[in-house]
Amino acid sequence: MWSVVKSVLAALLGVQSNQKRQEDFSSGKPAAYIVTGIVITLLFVLVLIVLATFAAR
Amino acid sequence: MQSAWRWLLVISLSASGSQANANDWNMPVGVTDISADIFGLHMTIFWVCVVIGLVVFGAMFYSLFRYRHSKGAKAANFHEHTSVEVLWTAIPVLILVGMAVPATATLKNMYDSSDAELDVMITGQQWRWRYEYLGEDVAFNSNMSTPRTQISGAETRGEHYLLEVDEPLVLPINRKVRFLMTSDDVIHSWWVPDLAVKQDTIPGFINENWVKINEPGIYRGQCTELCGVNHGFMPVVVHAMEEEEFEGWLAKRKEAAAEEAMGVDREWGMEELAERGESVYQAICSSCHQAEGQGSPPAFPALANNQQLIEDVDWHLDKVINGVSGAAMPAFRSTLNPVEIAAVVTYTRNAWGNDTGDVVQPSEVAELIAQ
Amino acid sequence: MSPKLPPQPHVQHSTTAVADGQSHAHPAPPKGILRWLLTTNHKEIGSLYLIFSLTMFFVGGIFALVVRAELFQPGLQLVQPEFFNQMTTMHGLIMVFAAVMPAFTGLANWMIPLQIGAPDMALPRLNNFSFWLLPVAFTLLLSTLLMPGGGPNFGWTFYAPLSTNYAPPSTTFFILSLHLAGISSILGAINIIATILNMRAPGMRLMDMPLFVWTWLITAFLLIAVMPVLAAVITMMLMDINFGTSFFNAAGGGDPVLFQHLFWTFGHPEVYIMILPAFGIVSAIIPTFARKPLFGYASMVYATAAIAFLSFLVWAHHMFVVGMPLVAELFFMYTTMLIAVPTGVKVFNWVTTLFRGSISFESPMLFALAFVVLFTIGGFSGLMLAIAPADFQYHDTYFVVAHFHYVLVPGAIFAIMAGVYYWLPKWTGHYPNERLAQWHFWFSIIGVNLTFFPMHFAGLAGMPRRIPDYALQFADFNLLSSIGAFFFGASQLLFVLGIILCVRGGKKAPAKAWEGAEDLEWTVPCPAPLHTFETPPVFHRTSH
Repeated sequence: MWSVVKSVLAALLGVQSNQKRQEDFSSGKPAAYIVTGIVITLLFVLVLIVLATFAAR
Repeated sequence: MQSAWRWLLVISLSASGSQANANDWNMPVGVTDISADIFGLHMTIFWVCVVIGLVVFGAMFYSLFRYRHSKGAKAANFHEHTSVEVLWTAIPVLILVGMAVPATATLKNMYDSSDAELDVMITGQQWRWRYEYLGEDVAFNSNMSTPRTQISGAETRGEHYLLEVDEPLVLPINRKVRFLMTSDDVIHSWWVPDLAVKQDTIPGFINENWVKINEPGIYRGQCTELCGVNHGFMPVVVHAMEEEEFEGWLAKRKEAAAEEAMGVDREWGMEELAERGESVYQAICSSCHQAEGQGSPPAFPALANNQQLIEDVDWHLDKVINGVSGAAMPAFRSTLNPVEIAAVVTYTRNAWGNDTGDVVQPSEVAELIAQ
Repeated sequence: MSPKLPPQPHVQHSTTAVADGQSHAHPAPPKGILRWLLTTNHKEIGSLYLIFSLTMFFVGGIFALVVRAELFQPGLQLVQPEFFNQMTTMHGLIMVFAAVMPAFTGLANWMIPLQIGAPDMALPRLNNFSFWLLPVAFTLLLSTLLMPGGGPNFGWTFYAPLSTNYAPPSTTFFILSLHLAGISSILGAINIIATILNMRAPGMRLMDMPLFVWTWLITAFLLIAVMPVLAAVITMMLMDINFGTSFFNAAGGGDPVLFQHLFWTFGHPEVYIMILPAFGIVSAIIPTFARKPLFGYASMVYATAAIAFLSFLVWAHHMFVVGMPLVAELFFMYTTMLIAVPTGVKVFNWVTTLFRGSISFESPMLFALAFVVLFTIGGFSGLMLAIAPADFQYHDTYFVVAHFHYVLVPGAIFAIMAGVYYWLPKWTGHYPNERLAQWHFWFSIIGVNLTFFPMHFAGLAGMPRRIPDYALQFADFNLLSSIGAFFFGASQLLFVLGIILCVRGGKKAPAKAWEGAEDLEWTVPCPAPLHTFETPPVFHRTSH
């Protein structure tokens, strides 16, 4: 689970090592990455909205 | 060949002769606290970019020079390094956070238009600005005053070519002025660089902005949203005055407005109406219908020898007062006062061979507007 | 190391491609014009796209030169404002939709099947259709210039209500032509996705694909996501103009700002549609001429995905001065600043690829290196524009014009030129004339900077964009820009000359035309025969 989250976060920043990538592609299920990706995207947007709302106060 | 030399001369002059102020090259510091803050942000992010650029391009050109194939460089074969990659992701993030903090503070300040001491309504129109001092009964249009002859090159261009108006917006210094901004037709954008105010004026919506000017002076800007044919000929001029001087100006304008209102009720003669009408026509109508009423079809019909116009005075008044829906002709019922409408209609009906002899009285117009 | 992965050591690419292009399995193609009208071959369609795009590059360029000629000095000399506005609008529309986008699609058509070892595109007839929509669409668009009332004159962003209630009668034709171009793009994108996902050589997995294929895969998804939004917004315009609706008409209860939100929901990802394939091309060329594998291949793929995803969250940074609420301004400022991070990662990766390489400077490499430097300068001004308070001063001035021309001309277009010089040996069997190409490069570099660099100053000093005449203090900058523009325009004739000479002859190129080139396209002969990879090659992984 944590490894999936880490990979998706790496994708968000655009940083990933070859070794980790190969692990992902050999062991992970695509669905897990897609779902995690969508969840993290929503979280990301939500965090920014909260941040902006807070900053605007 | 001669012209080529002239170019070279111009280029060298412009390179050497730039001892003028920094405004020629860079964003102005401006005359408000906000404009100074924005200038600070602008210069900070600029230097951040310069430093990053020097580092990145420095590394790049070093590599290009040092590892030339022609000098027998042998290629290494590394292709990743996680800690370096994390580092060069983290550093930009930190820099950006460092930029976001002051930018957020400035933006909050710009959005705080509370406690204004004066409200001015700014309305964009193809192609002029209308200023209305809310609660003061003072309102006027501001048209570009650069003559067409300068644009065509028939006359020497003046110092403030394209950046001069018949009536500037007059504002007091040291007082918070709130702008309420809207448009009668398409989207315009009201911009004065020295005040760091740029705001779109949108038909059907009202935007807010504000300014507190620190120094008296004349500040010039332009419409910055493409708004049709004469987008380039829609300058903004703000005349900032000491407070007492401004009060005097406002009182005088109020008096003039009251006088104008009285003028509606009296009977006007053909001569005075036509004279007044000509100046209104040149300021308001000529940008579309052209100086001699010849128009530029199909968008802008001719007024000279326009049979429908000549035959039907009611139709003519209706078009000026209520506009033409779905076309560029705006409704002038609130932009021009009854005297001005009567004057310009009278003028149009008797100029350029439209010899109808009609005289339209301001009182008639006032009645039509009231309906 | 996972057992599922094939072994890692370097193995040469298999050379299973057959050279007998006119193999008897294929019926002889029709002769003359019919051959080009009916072709379903990815190479021929790729060439058609590229020729169309080059033609339109010159058409759009001539419009730009009309604009620059009028702006050569203050006053109105050559054209009236009405025609000037049509020229700025047409220049933008043609360059975006008819020059840059079809050029990338043309390169994709030619190179994606060759790079993944596929015999052709997945949907060849659809491929033919998506190309031939384009000449129709743009003939229609250009013909509006001759209609009463003139062509579109409201800027390539066609903000309502200037483009609806106040637009010339030809606007309905403009809408139709954009619809056609949009359908062409969507069909092309579907075809590219189908090809990449289904037709890779056995053994090639997604993470083995060259970056040009990767960036195009992501671009294709962007296209499918946003072209329908463009279609929706122009359909709403059509309804407002012809059927009395009021989507964007405030007098009827509509909202002009809604138009901008919809347009930029399309428009911002569109910006990345025009730059991501450029990243792919540069990521192929730099390793080739540095003779060293691309640094951080996985990071590049991930950064491309991250940019694509962020591109949907930044649209309103084009609208900082329309009067959005403070929270929205802050949100879009933050997301826009964040998009700089994955973009920066790409630039760092390219520079690090150069580090300790063995670098030579053939014309494709020169254009790719210029891309890295000048695109980054465009990125810097983009970062400045992201600072919302400062954008109140920059917005809709020549500073913005300078910014997006830096990312589009020495960005997208230089990458296209780099790609053309890089792959010309594969297409024609001959190397381009290197001396001519180098002249073209240096003239272009001088021209592009002379044209666009002074625009930064003009914008900061207060010159709004899209004006036909300007105040006297902007005269020097405009003079320089105009000289630069004519110089740049004229030097592009060298590009055409170089291509024509290369098609007709020149130094013969071997299958692997560049010493450091690694991808599958270099395993087929130069010129690539009409049909390649009829038997799929067996892909062996090198060292991405």
